[in-house]
Amino acid sequence: MTALIELKDITKTFLTEEIETRALNSINITINKGEYLSLSGQSGCGKSTLLSLLGLLDSPTSGSYLINNVDVSSLSRDQRAKIRSEQIGFVFQSFNLISDLTIFENVMLPLTYQSGFSKKEIAEKVHDVLAKVEMSHRKDHFPSQLSGGQQQRVAVARALVNDPAIILADEPTGNLDSKNAQAVLALFDKLHQDGATICMVTHDPISAKRASRCLEMFDGRLIADNLNTPSHQKLASSVAAIELVAS
Amino acid sequence: MSVLIDIKYALRLLFKAPKFTAMTLSVLVGGLTISLFTFSFLYSTLHKALPMPEGETALVLSTETIGISMNMDTNQNSLSAYEFRQIAKTQSSLDEFGLYESIDARLSFEDTGKNISATYVDSGFFRFSRTKAMMGRTIQQQDMVVGTTPVAVISYETWQNELSGSKDVLTMTINLNDRVTDVIGVMPPGYRFPGIAKIWLPLKQSQLNKQQNTSSYFTAYARLKSGVSNEQATKYLSAALDQLYQQSVKLYNQPEANKIVHLRSYPMDQVNGIGNTMFIFLNVVAWSILALGCINVGNLLLARSMERQKETAIRAALGATSKRLVSQLMWEGIIITTVGAILSVLLVGAALDYTNIALHSWMPNSMVFWWHWGLDKETLGMAIIVTLVTIILAVFLPAWRSAHQDINAALRDGTRGAQGKKAGRLSRLLVTVQVFLVAFLMLIGTLSGFITQTFINLETGDDYSDIMRASINLPKNKYQTPQEQALLFQALLERIKNDSNVIDAHATTLSHLPIILSEFDFDDSHEKLSIDTFTVIGNTEFSGITLVAGRHLNRRDKSGARKVVLISQSMANRYWPGESALEKKITLEIAGKAESLFIVGIVTNRFNGRSLFGKLDSEDETYISGLQFIKPRMRIYYKTIKGSVNAAGIFYRALFEIDRNIDVVQTVQPAERNRNLMRDGMRLTSKVIFGTGFFALMLAMVGIYGLTANSVAQRTHEIGIRRAVGATDKNITDMFIKQGGRQLLTGLGLALLLFTLISVMFNEFSEGLIPTYLYFVLASVVIVSLSLIVMLAIYAPTRKAVVMEPSLALRYE
Repeated sequence: MTALIELKDITKTFLTEEIETRALNSINITINKGEYLSLSGQSGCGKSTLLSLLGLLDSPTSGSYLINNVDVSSLSRDQRAKIRSEQIGFVFQSFNLISDLTIFENVMLPLTYQSGFSKKEIAEKVHDVLAKVEMSHRKDHFPSQLSGGQQQRVAVARALVNDPAIILADEPTGNLDSKNAQAVLALFDKLHQDGATICMVTHDPISAKRASRCLEMFDGRLIADNLNTPSHQKLASSVAAIELVAS
Repeated sequence: MSVLIDIKYALRLLFKAPKFTAMTLSVLVGGLTISLFTFSFLYSTLHKALPMPEGETALVLSTETIGISMNMDTNQNSLSAYEFRQIAKTQSSLDEFGLYESIDARLSFEDTGKNISATYVDSGFFRFSRTKAMMGRTIQQQDMVVGTTPVAVISYETWQNELSGSKDVLTMTINLNDRVTDVIGVMPPGYRFPGIAKIWLPLKQSQLNKQQNTSSYFTAYARLKSGVSNEQATKYLSAALDQLYQQSVKLYNQPEANKIVHLRSYPMDQVNGIGNTMFIFLNVVAWSILALGCINVGNLLLARSMERQKETAIRAALGATSKRLVSQLMWEGIIITTVGAILSVLLVGAALDYTNIALHSWMPNSMVFWWHWGLDKETLGMAIIVTLVTIILAVFLPAWRSAHQDINAALRDGTRGAQGKKAGRLSRLLVTVQVFLVAFLMLIGTLSGFITQTFINLETGDDYSDIMRASINLPKNKYQTPQEQALLFQALLERIKNDSNVIDAHATTLSHLPIILSEFDFDDSHEKLSIDTFTVIGNTEFSGITLVAGRHLNRRDKSGARKVVLISQSMANRYWPGESALEKKITLEIAGKAESLFIVGIVTNRFNGRSLFGKLDSEDETYISGLQFIKPRMRIYYKTIKGSVNAAGIFYRALFEIDRNIDVVQTVQPAERNRNLMRDGMRLTSKVIFGTGFFALMLAMVGIYGLTANSVAQRTHEIGIRRAVGATDKNITDMFIKQGGRQLLTGLGLALLLFTLISVMFNEFSEGLIPTYLYFVLASVVIVSLSLIVMLAIYAPTRKAVVMEPSLALRYE
């Protein structure tokens, strides 16, 4: 398999009012293309910080970070922004749609930060991804006019619109009811089946089991890195389906 | 109880954020102080009733002659004794109607003396002012009879300063205009009606009984009859006066024109009736600055309440009503506004006191008695109104808006990342309004500053250093013929020149005479041009008007001799370019008669402030001989040796030796005094304009910075999202700059539109005083500097937000 992402001895330290907090400690991970990772652990263990580093939203204090064998740990702010717009898609727990923009405008946002797309191309791509998440009919609405589940599907569409190398999801079902959560996870499953690389932070062990690989963190360190067999994944999907029916 | 809790909470918040409190307070105090000071100063100057009983109904009747240019002979703007008598006989719109004349008198002591502001009054004058003498009596009918002992009523200040407050003042005599005069009364302290009088003398009945052709001219006081409006009275009196004037045109060869009446309050008459325009214009400027202050304070308070949006939502969720929320949110602003208003009132009080002292010491004898500035009930009333308006605009509206937010949206940690559409629109509108206001103020300020500088640096072409000046008016009944008048002026000049301290002297008067240019190829006589014409007896060389070619006017240029004229160099170059103008002829219309004059000399150019806005008039002058075209009222100029003591006394000694009955219309004073006063005034105005403009600019800068910072802060989360999906620093900065740019363009565009309208009107009025290209230069300077400042005010907070890591921005609350 081809390594898409390599983290080598990554640490991240926060300094607030002379108190040093080490959020990440010697993290070493390799993520291959097409993998579906889950990242779990207790609150405050560093999951979101790791996801921010993976998404180039923050820089590591030390260590090296390679995407497609290119070291991105010491890139400039604009170079990192360019990689985000072209290679990374984000899905947040709180959706993070811009309330003053329509659904269509929210989804097209990453493309507006890339050059080379015509208006027509942008429109086609946005329509495609909205169709994929079954939200085409709401493209002219504003986020506040949608339910939480619908907003998250739009957020997923936004994450997909630039054909990213990796989708980073930070507790994407955390703000959703179980029905909507299942719908979003099913969407992720489908994306994975279509070949997308996904890294998802989650608290929920059953959601985690749907991933092909489960990483577990504790106190800024990676303490487990297990591969899920397809039977595990199938079982997790079934349990989720039963829970959904029961609810 | 709940109100007390709210006040306590508001105070705690204010003390917790001292920088915010200090900034908001200073912006508010600045805006309030400027608007209150402007209102109070202008109100006291222009609209306040005279400080005497029934002062609000006291009017001054002035006249205006429409159809001829103003000249030095101000009679055309006064009322003759004949006109007064005729109108008084028939009018029924005035209750009280009388005459007075304010001129200087010479108060002499053994071998020294001083000029003193005097007013010759009729017997109804003191009754009109509803003021009795504090000692003795006022002027009575019997004092006006010719041949009676000369009497005077003196002011309290004159009594104290000139007569040492002597208790025997009513048995004392003073030497006034070289005449022994009995003091018959002392007026109460502060009484200087009708303006700056320090002494009152009786008008003589004989002066009031003259026919139109020999009559002197006076100012009239009046009070309307009950039930008669000012418009009605003005209409009636104008018609009556014009009828009389038309008779004078036929009988006495007066210039063809129409004479009308103005009935104005004394303060309004002081500024020639343009007080309302001044009042409105300057108050608009001051209120614009207050509006800027309100916008900024409102915005700062809005930003504060936005910060507390979640707290407000929680309160609402717990059951607080909108009314309660608004009241709770308002206390912070109410406290700041109230403290600001108190500080402003104190500052305005101090500034008015300072203005009072400064202006009275700057113009010690020229300040009319009602010009007294200080905190009064009108200012305090306006302070209350302004404070209430500020509370409504800058406190209530932001609080109301904040209290009516969507509680769910604020409490739900869901979709977010941008400020609300309405808040965004409001913020953009406020920036646009700020840009418009400050751009307009800067454009007008720059134009005013430029005009002021033009006045200050005016090249006058003359040199008045060590020159004294006085105006006299020869009594027509005593000096009836031109020969008698010319002899008097010559004798006076000789006597002045005989003084060992005097270098030279001349007498002159300025007229604005029609010039007939038909003898030139470029005939433009149809325009009926007028030209500044100085009637001169003596030599002008010592006053800086020097000879360029030919000769000066001299004693031989007298009646019966060839009529001659001197012209300015500019005129020579204009009409005889490349050839000598000497011995050429020009035609001037003098006393209604076309006179052909031979040019015998060309002198240097001079500037005449009276015709500042006339292209031709401001550049060309002619000088005719006073011995050929005499005028009974002339100005005497004499140059003394540097450091001469009692230079004023030289004139009075000479005058009293010749004839002590001649009126000194304008006191002896350094010829540069008025010009220096005007320049000092202009400098002060320039500084005030600059200071006000600078303050407005600072207010706008703080305001725009605050609005942008607020807008950026509210959009920090949105910035985080945009960054997360790939926006670069430049993308984010461009977004805010573009948005700011649109507001800048709109605000600047509107201000430029208004400025263009004003400039076109001003250019027409000033006949191109300022070259057209300079308007563009001024506008460009303002556009560039304001754009830079606004862009800086937008860029700084944007930059601050952009450097934040996206991960932090996404977590930003």
